[in-house]
Amino acid sequence: MGGIHFIINMAIGSLIYLGLTIFLAGFIHKVYNVYYKTPQPLKIPQTPQSTSLGGVILRMAGDVLFFRSLSKGTTLLFYTGWIFHVTFFLLLQRHLRYFITPVPSCVTFLNQAALFIGIVLLIALIILLVRRFIDERTRYITNLSDVFVLFLIMGIVVTGIMMRFEPFRPDIVDVKGFLSELMVPATAFGYMTLHPATAPSSLIFIFHLGLVAFLLMYFPFSKLMHSGGYFFSPTRNMINNPRDVRYVNPWDKG
Amino acid sequence: MTDEKAPATDANAIVQELIKYEKLPYEHVELTGEIKVPKIKPDAMIKVHAQQLTSKDTLERLGYPTKGLIPNWKEVFLKTMDKMLKKYKSVRLFMDICVRCGACTDKCHYFIGTGDPRNMPVARAELMRKVYRRYFTWPGKLFGSKMVDGWDLSIDVLALWYTYFYQCSECRRCAVFCPYGIDTAEITMAAREILNSVGLVQKYQHEIIDKAQVIGNNLGMQQNAVVNALEFVRDELREETGIEEIDIPIDIEGADVLFVTPSADFFASPHIESLYGYAKVFHQAGISWTMSTHASEGGNFGMFVHSYDHMKRINKRIWDAARALKVKRVIGGECGHMWRVLSSFSNTLWGPFDYLDSKYPRPQHICEFTLDLLNRGALKIDKTANAEFTATIHDSCQIARGMEMGGQKYGQFEIPRGVIKGVCEKFVDMPENTIKERTFCCGAGQGLLGDDMLPTRVKGAMPRMQAYSYVKKQNGVNFMALICAICKAQLSKMFPTYDIEMEEVGGIHQLVGRAIVLGAKEGI
Repeated sequence: MGGIHFIINMAIGSLIYLGLTIFLAGFIHKVYNVYYKTPQPLKIPQTPQSTSLGGVILRMAGDVLFFRSLSKGTTLLFYTGWIFHVTFFLLLQRHLRYFITPVPSCVTFLNQAALFIGIVLLIALIILLVRRFIDERTRYITNLSDVFVLFLIMGIVVTGIMMRFEPFRPDIVDVKGFLSELMVPATAFGYMTLHPATAPSSLIFIFHLGLVAFLLMYFPFSKLMHSGGYFFSPTRNMINNPRDVRYVNPWDKG
Repeated sequence: MTDEKAPATDANAIVQELIKYEKLPYEHVELTGEIKVPKIKPDAMIKVHAQQLTSKDTLERLGYPTKGLIPNWKEVFLKTMDKMLKKYKSVRLFMDICVRCGACTDKCHYFIGTGDPRNMPVARAELMRKVYRRYFTWPGKLFGSKMVDGWDLSIDVLALWYTYFYQCSECRRCAVFCPYGIDTAEITMAAREILNSVGLVQKYQHEIIDKAQVIGNNLGMQQNAVVNALEFVRDELREETGIEEIDIPIDIEGADVLFVTPSADFFASPHIESLYGYAKVFHQAGISWTMSTHASEGGNFGMFVHSYDHMKRINKRIWDAARALKVKRVIGGECGHMWRVLSSFSNTLWGPFDYLDSKYPRPQHICEFTLDLLNRGALKIDKTANAEFTATIHDSCQIARGMEMGGQKYGQFEIPRGVIKGVCEKFVDMPENTIKERTFCCGAGQGLLGDDMLPTRVKGAMPRMQAYSYVKKQNGVNFMALICAICKAQLSKMFPTYDIEMEEVGGIHQLVGRAIVLGAKEGI
């Protein structure tokens, strides 16, 4: 094995482990220590909030699954945003086939449509990006990080789509072998003693994986935390019954 | 000592120059009935600054610095901000999860009215987020402000905060459309408290917070003045109706109901008309009630800023009075934020209310009370008294986007409408995107009612005025019913400003008071 291969194997594997660690530690820390633990002194649910727990759960499900709050406002953003999230999720769950053997049917059922979904996802991303420059109000509030994260995900999607075509198609057996090797705990210790797993030779694949690792590392420090944060939003998750049930302020229990 | 002071007064002098109050001209737009989203006009409203509180005694009582910006302001600023982030989940979370999608950008009435991009809710919140990212996140601490689109603290940042966090009326309309429910009101409230801690204290709102605690009401009326005012109203009422028994009872121990309402209702116009209405409803229902000189104010400006202790102390008067007078129920009059504090926050602040009648162990809204009487046929109503009116309702922001009424999810819309329809034949709603949960603020809520804010008040009222002029043209509407003292004060000034008769504004209980037939008792 040549030196360059060794370096790539070491780099990509370590990057994946590092990404996963930072992602998990960061995400859990933020959600638990910050979003969950920070006290909320007063009840501030917002209309249309239900007076029962069931209703609140339904409303939140509507927000999460169908972007109900967003749909009240901007149509283009609502449709594009929703399509982006749904296609992203569909493609994400398709990746389970690299980690589970035998591949369950709920993962493979999209086989035929996968490429199409990927292209829809890419188009949605392009619309989201373009509107940040065309719409003057959105342009005014756009930060560098907003554009950066769009490009990052776009990079992942583009390399992902490329791998479906020759000559970029990596050897699927190599890929699966590499990923399942990474899942074995012993492999992680192998990296510490400079015995990395062998990555597939496809450069596009390495690039794809590298971007994913980077996204994972970036995730807990970025606005992407809206994924976990939403569930703790006091205007959405508090029951609208302040008169019936006394809410106790955690830092003023008197 | 003098050496230490020199640079400090400099910083104070610089910031005072930047946020100096100027009397600015204002003009209203033409009423077309259409609400158009404007092109952005950067810095359109950057010159509008609220007046500052300078009275040393008042500042001292409130616990804020007394000499303007303090020398070590950066340190105190970050310390207070840290406290806000640790005490308020809302603030902490809303700093973190905004994706700047832009859904809120055209939702704020101040933006629609002014076109100033910093009046877009997300841009307003970014004023705080830029500081947050720089000082309270890992990347900001490690790599500095440039890497995180942040700001280092500076006098300019302070000036921008003071300018734009006093151009937000905390109406929560943006949060309706936000996919994560980010509530700019929470951010504004925190920002105001941070500004207070370094010595930039807005006058109108904080003067009232002080008066409400020290004297007992927002207008600063001593107890005997309250009694005089209410006796005057009572005499007027007796003269008008010719009924000797009608009363506005004061401090009656053992009455069934303690009634609290904004002190503006005692003599401001059109507020006082609603006070007549309340008295008539209580009289006709035959329920013993009382007002209190101790709790002579329903409003609670402490809510407008995250100074929890102030809000709590102001609220205490109501519950002390309820206990002292041994009442069975507490009912609140027509006021927006008062109702939010009374219904949403009181139970947390001073609950549980186990000393009240177990049938009504909670503060109630006068509209709940009146509608219940109407539905039971306990009030004799002559709708022809309101025949000249085609009414509409302006949903007050704090009620509409606050909480249930009558135990139902949409009670805060249905109950006031029910009362109006019960006393007035003709009722038309304004366009759907301007009412109910999407209602527009009157333009002067949450501490922005002072005359110093007239330029933003006039522009902020624009969406509501357009919506009203639309139904006025389409349906001949000629009365806007309100359930908020601030809305009444603001719109009775804005209507003439927009060339509409001031008499077209009034409280819901003004309509009730006109239609109620006194004396003749049926039902119950």
